[in-house]
This record gives sequence, C-alpha cells and structure tokens, in this order.
Amino acid sequence: MKRLPNILLLIFFFAFIMMLPQAEAGLKTDGNPDGGTLNYGEYGRPATLDPITSNDMISLRISELVFNGLVGIDEKQEIVPELAERSVISDNGRIYTFYLRKDITWHPREGEEPMPFTADDVIFTYNIMMHPKTITPLKVRYEFIKTVTKIDDYTVRVSLKRPILNALAKFSFKIIPKHGPENPKFLTREDPFVHKPIGTGPYMLKSITADREIILEANDNYFKGRPHIDKFVVRPFADQNIMSQALMFNAIDMIVLVNHRDIPQIQGDKRFVLQPYNALSYSFFGYNMRNPLLVDKRVRKAFTYAVNRQEMLSSFFQDQGTIISGPFAPGSWAYNLDVQPLPYDPQKGIELLNEAGFVKGNDGIMEKDGEKLSLSLKVPIEKESEAVKRVVLAFKNYLNKIGVDIKGEFKEWLSWKEDVFLNHDFDIIFASWVFDDSADISSLFHSSEIGPWKNNFGAYSNPEVDSLIVESKLTLDHEKRRTINRKLHAIVADENPYTFLWTLTNYAAFNKKLRHVAIHPYNFFPYADDWFIPASEQH
Amino acid sequence: MKRYSQYSTNVSDFSDVPFWKKAGTMDLVYVSYGIFIVILVIVSYILGAFNLLPFDPHEINIKLLMAPPKTAGHILGTDFMGRDILSRLIIGIQAYFLPGLLAIAIALVIGTCFGILAGYWGGGFDTAITYINNLLNSFPRLVLILLMVAAFKPDIYYIMVIVGITNVPVVASLIKGKIQFLKQKYFIEAATALGLKNRIIIFKHILWHNCRSVLIIQATLGMAEAILMETSLSYLGFGVQEPIPSWGNMVLSGANYFMQGKFWPSTAPALAILFTIMGFHLLGDGLNNILEMKRSK
Repeated sequence: MKRLPNILLLIFFFAFIMMLPQAEAGLKTDGNPDGGTLNYGEYGRPATLDPITSNDMISLRISELVFNGLVGIDEKQEIVPELAERSVISDNGRIYTFYLRKDITWHPREGEEPMPFTADDVIFTYNIMMHPKTITPLKVRYEFIKTVTKIDDYTVRVSLKRPILNALAKFSFKIIPKHGPENPKFLTREDPFVHKPIGTGPYMLKSITADREIILEANDNYFKGRPHIDKFVVRPFADQNIMSQALMFNAIDMIVLVNHRDIPQIQGDKRFVLQPYNALSYSFFGYNMRNPLLVDKRVRKAFTYAVNRQEMLSSFFQDQGTIISGPFAPGSWAYNLDVQPLPYDPQKGIELLNEAGFVKGNDGIMEKDGEKLSLSLKVPIEKESEAVKRVVLAFKNYLNKIGVDIKGEFKEWLSWKEDVFLNHDFDIIFASWVFDDSADISSLFHSSEIGPWKNNFGAYSNPEVDSLIVESKLTLDHEKRRTINRKLHAIVADENPYTFLWTLTNYAAFNKKLRHVAIHPYNFFPYADDWFIPASEQH
Repeated sequence: MKRYSQYSTNVSDFSDVPFWKKAGTMDLVYVSYGIFIVILVIVSYILGAFNLLPFDPHEINIKLLMAPPKTAGHILGTDFMGRDILSRLIIGIQAYFLPGLLAIAIALVIGTCFGILAGYWGGGFDTAITYINNLLNSFPRLVLILLMVAAFKPDIYYIMVIVGITNVPVVASLIKGKIQFLKQKYFIEAATALGLKNRIIIFKHILWHNCRSVLIIQATLGMAEAILMETSLSYLGFGVQEPIPSWGNMVLSGANYFMQGKFWPSTAPALAILFTIMGFHLLGDGLNNILEMKRSK
C-alpha cells in the first residue's frame, strides 16, 4: 500500500519568502485553559515510534505529536513555517534555502540538559533517511533531492535534481535529532531510538506501560507555546467492539477511526462528537489481465455494470462514502468529476458479455468456446473483516446473477500477498489504495510497474496511459497537469482495469469535553497542541 | 453363554440383567439427552444433505440485513448478509459431521493400534510409542493447525486431520492402560494357554468385549472436541470460510453486532454449540458410568 503523507495542497509557489511573527516559547496566548488528560484508543499497536522506520498509521499519528517538520500545514491546508522560520526558493525552483528557528530545543533525556536544534539535525535526518541500510517508505518520496548542505548552524540549503511541483510541501518530513539514534549512519528497528524517540514536538514520550499504553506529556518548552492538554495516553485495543464500548463507558475519550458499523450508536449519543475527515483512498476489485478471459475490456465493464455499488454502500457502510468512477481519489484535484460512475445495469452487463462472445451454458454459467467464465476471487483473512466479507459475498452474488461463477478463496494475509504480488496467481482481488496529494498513479497503471512485488499487480498495460502518466509527471504547470490527469481518468475509467467502488468517509469520535478539535485528514494530530479541556471537566 | 470377565464373581448374578436396569437414573437421563442430540444432529445432516430447508441458506438479501426473529418468515431472523439463520444453523452441521467423523476415525484407529502395540507387546514398542505420544502432546495443537492453515489453506478436513492426530495419545494411553490391566487377568492367561491366536485375543477378548465402551465414549467426546476446535478457529478467522456456514463462523460474524443489541445472529449458533457439546459430553459421561459400571444401583 502507498503510505505517504497526503497534503491537500494545490498552490504552486515559484519564489517567495515567508515570515513568522516572533513568538516566544512559553504559554499559549489564546486564553484557553491548560490541564487534563486525553486517552485515545487505537486498533492495534505501533511497531515503532519514530517517523522514519514506521509504516503504519498508528505510529504516524504518534510521531505527529512528538516531532516537527521544516514546514507544516495549517487548518486551511496552507504551508506554514515550523522548524524553519522562513524559506527562500530560487534558481528556477531548484535551490531551497531554509532559515531555521534559533529558539528550539530537543526534548531533554532524563537527567540531561535539552540540546538545541540546529542545521546538523536536518542534514543528519536526510542522510539517515537516504542511507541504503535504512528501511523506510520515505526514500522514494525524497529521491528528487540532490544534496542537502549546511550553510551555517541555522541555515540549510537543499538542491533538487529537477524542479518539481509542490516541493515545499514535501519538506514536512519529520526531523530527528543527531544525538538520538545510537547508530549515526542508518536507522533500523533494533535501534533503541525507535522505541524511545525524542523530538521537538508538543508532546514528549514519557513511558510505555506494561499494558503497552504509550504516555505522552506536554512539552513545556514547545516553540509554539505549551500545549493545553497535559497528557496524551495512547491505548491499544485488539478488538474494535471493545474499543467502541470503552468510549461509551468513558474509559477512553477518543477513537481516531470509528468502525462504520458503530457509527449509528455513537451518533445517537449526546456525549460524543462524531467528526468526519476525508482520507484520499478508495476500494476496488482488481482484475488480473494475465487471464485471457479478463483481457477483453467488455468483460470487465460487464462486471462493473452488474454490481450495485450504491446498494452495498447504503447497506454496509450506512451511506458514509462516495461512489467513484476512476483511478484518482475523489477530493484530489486530479479527479475528473465529468466521468460518471457506470450505473447498476445487469442487463447491460449480460449484453456486453454476449458481445464479447459469451453465451449462457446449460448450468446458467456464461461460456465461450467451451470455456466457462469461472474466476477466483482471493481475499485475505482478517479477524475484523466482516465488512470485507460482506462486500465480497455481495459481489459474488451480483456476478452470479449475470452468469459469472466466482470462487471466493480466503487466504492468510502473507500468503495472499504472495499470491497477488509475487506469483500473480489470482483472477480478482478486493483491496484499497491510500494516496498522497501528488495524485501519482504511475505505480498502479504504468506498464513498467508490472513485476514481482510491484503495484501494477493486474499487469494492466496501455501505451497511451503510459505516455500520459510520464507527461503528467514531467510537467510543471499545474493546470496542464490537471488536464492530463483528467484525460487519464477518463481512459482508465473506460478501460476498467478495476471495478472502482467507493471512498469511505472516516470518522473520529470523541468526548464533548474536548474542545477546539481540528483533525488533519492524514496526519490527524498536527493541531493537537491547540485542543483543550475546560477546567470544570478536567477531573 | 457365559463369558469370563474381570467381574467373574458376579457374572452369574448380573449377566442376564439388561444394562439399563443396572444404571443410575441420572445416567439414563444423560444418555437419553445425548442420544436425542445425536439424533437431532443426524436428522439435521440428512435435512441439509437433501436440501429440505425453510430457505436457501446461501441466498443473500441485502434489503433484509440483521432482521430480528420472525421477520418475513425467518424464524430465527437473518444474518449480516440477510441470509436465513435457521437454514444456516441446520446446514452448518455439514461442516462438522463428516470432518468430525474423520477426526474420530483417525484418533480411534491409530490410537488403538498404538495402545495395543504398547500395551500387549510392551518393551520396545512401549518406549517408542511413549516417545511419539510425548512428542504429539508437547506440540500446541492450535499452533500446529495455524501452521497448516498458513501453509495450505483453511480447510476443515486438514484441520480435522490434525485434531485427530493430536487426539491419538489420549486414546493410545487409555487402551494401553486397559490392556495392561486385562493382561493380568486369568481369562487372558487361559486364552493364551488354550493356544488362541493373538489376533483373536486382541480383537475379540480385549477390544470387543472389554474396550468397546472406552472407544464409544472417546468417539462421543471426539465429536464434541471437533466442534469446539472449529469454533475457536473460526473466532480467529481460520475455520470454515464464508459463504459456507458453520456454527463457529456464524458466531464470529454475529458477535460484531452483539453490543448493538442485535443478539440473535450470534446467540442462535452459540446456543446450538452449547447444547450439542453438552449433549455429546453427557452422552460420553453417562455411557462411561453405565458401561463401565462405575456406579451401580
């Protein structure tokens, strides 16, 4: 899966200077009370807590509380200065100079004085991220950087290999301290730093209890002012039902991602707020074009016609989502709203299958030259997969009605991954993608991405799509890029390499005592230092 | 015809009295409840096999998800895909019946062979079989099954083969103990002295006349164990896979809605599991008391 911070940023900066009003570290000036504890529930446990080696959403959210990037994103989705107080872009967008704040210190280690944050830390972070022995999903994202050099203690110059769109937004990666990791060359999951990180962020990692609760305490020296809430406690749950019940019984104050089946129950309760946030993601049924039966696009389209997506969305997800038509996440600027999703029309599906040369056999299954239209659908086993089960069973049922035989096969997660990405031994899969803002679908549909462990698992190949993808990557003009992507959307929607299903609205649920809650659609916690609990409800 | 048994002193007094007259009342109640359950299971199996069900258990009805009992003719309501729960309960026994018998057969046949080898001949056989039993016993069964599932696929027959194999030591040690006890009896000595073949002594005098009750009891307990094993695996998601119904996966998919007050999709199969397993256990227990004459009037 792609796991890259998605930043909803559409503005292209040529060359500009950002100034920050001088703010002294200390208390916040918004007049809201300090104090209180926020317990929030997560489904599962994070593997690591640093921003570099982690690849799950749980640790991503925690590192948002502990670390800062050179730049950040504000609630209006605009770039704001964080560790760098200003930045200058010059030389046709190839050289970025960052002027760092001089008043920032790292979280102190026990019994030690806090160390100042300097340019060395930025260079250290870049080098460790790019070291071949560091395993991190961030490497690909920052391959566009040529060098990072230190001008003086508080100035860093970054030169790019080529000018790229929205480069400034990409400098939101989290900076780690030079004195943090034990191994100064590269970072692995064995390094103690990944379990006890120190950063510059609003919260400091205090301890991890025997129950694997992660306790974070307010950083009094936070450069944006001390955060209001004293303590964040991350409580891991192994069962989503129990997590929802914990919220209902006030054992936790917040769930970052509510299971859709629990929404009606929380919605009806006046003690809680249900706040939607949109992630750039969608679910789909992907077809394997190595199977000759699925090469004909009429067959794939027939399947899409046969599936009643609206009915599934309404019944299984309480209508909390949008049906999509093409390869971009809706809400992304690249999504083409002019392309309508195919309607539910099983009759049309049968016609398309007939057109493609299939006729109904004696047993009601479509066949062509004696070969039955019988396909395997591989699904990974997860304990909490009953939403997946529902979609898969319904899909099977819809296709049965137009004479397609689907054999559902549940596989253990790792062997499923091997079947799909390595052996390509499947006909159809059900999965989802999560995207960043770059609206880059090259890894999904470009023909050079066919191969073991690559994302174009269905071996989709179309020279026109290939050239459009490359063109879209190379252009620097945002409008032009948008036009190309809209065209790309229309073609892929017509070719139907996937049956595109929907994008679901994510919901966070939290107790009403929490105020001023703003949520970032991907990183979730960037604004958490402004959240507060009124003094009367802090107990 | 009279025969020798370990109860040689009272053979003449009791051998003509039918065993149910010798049994305790509670044992009879247990056994009749157990037999009732067994009949119910067999009837359900036959109904399922001939498709004599109120609804098609695989028919999905998205308009009628999680309908409460007695909605539109669904006596026990519908599940998370709008399928009839009663029909799925009845056909769910298919998931256990033959696989369960397979597990029992494996455990009994291999276990008995091991038991005879170790008990009757002893010596080297005994040592070897004790090692094998220890080996099997020291391996956590669930881990073995999960390994199997990961290596092949979640198939109930594979799982039941493992359940059967891991039950071998239990049967083997029971039979071995019994034979070692019987070997000291005069009738076996007499049989040997009379020059009867080992085959006849083992199969007729030991297994048929003296071990059949042990084997029947083990068979009933084995069935209960097969159902329980599938249920716990289903709860981890590795049991019988959708859309094929089993009581275990019905409980799992219904459990997600239990907290929201929609209790019927998980409660119906859970009760079915409870009463069936209780039935098999009581049958085993009752038979044990009656046939082994642990308790008498």
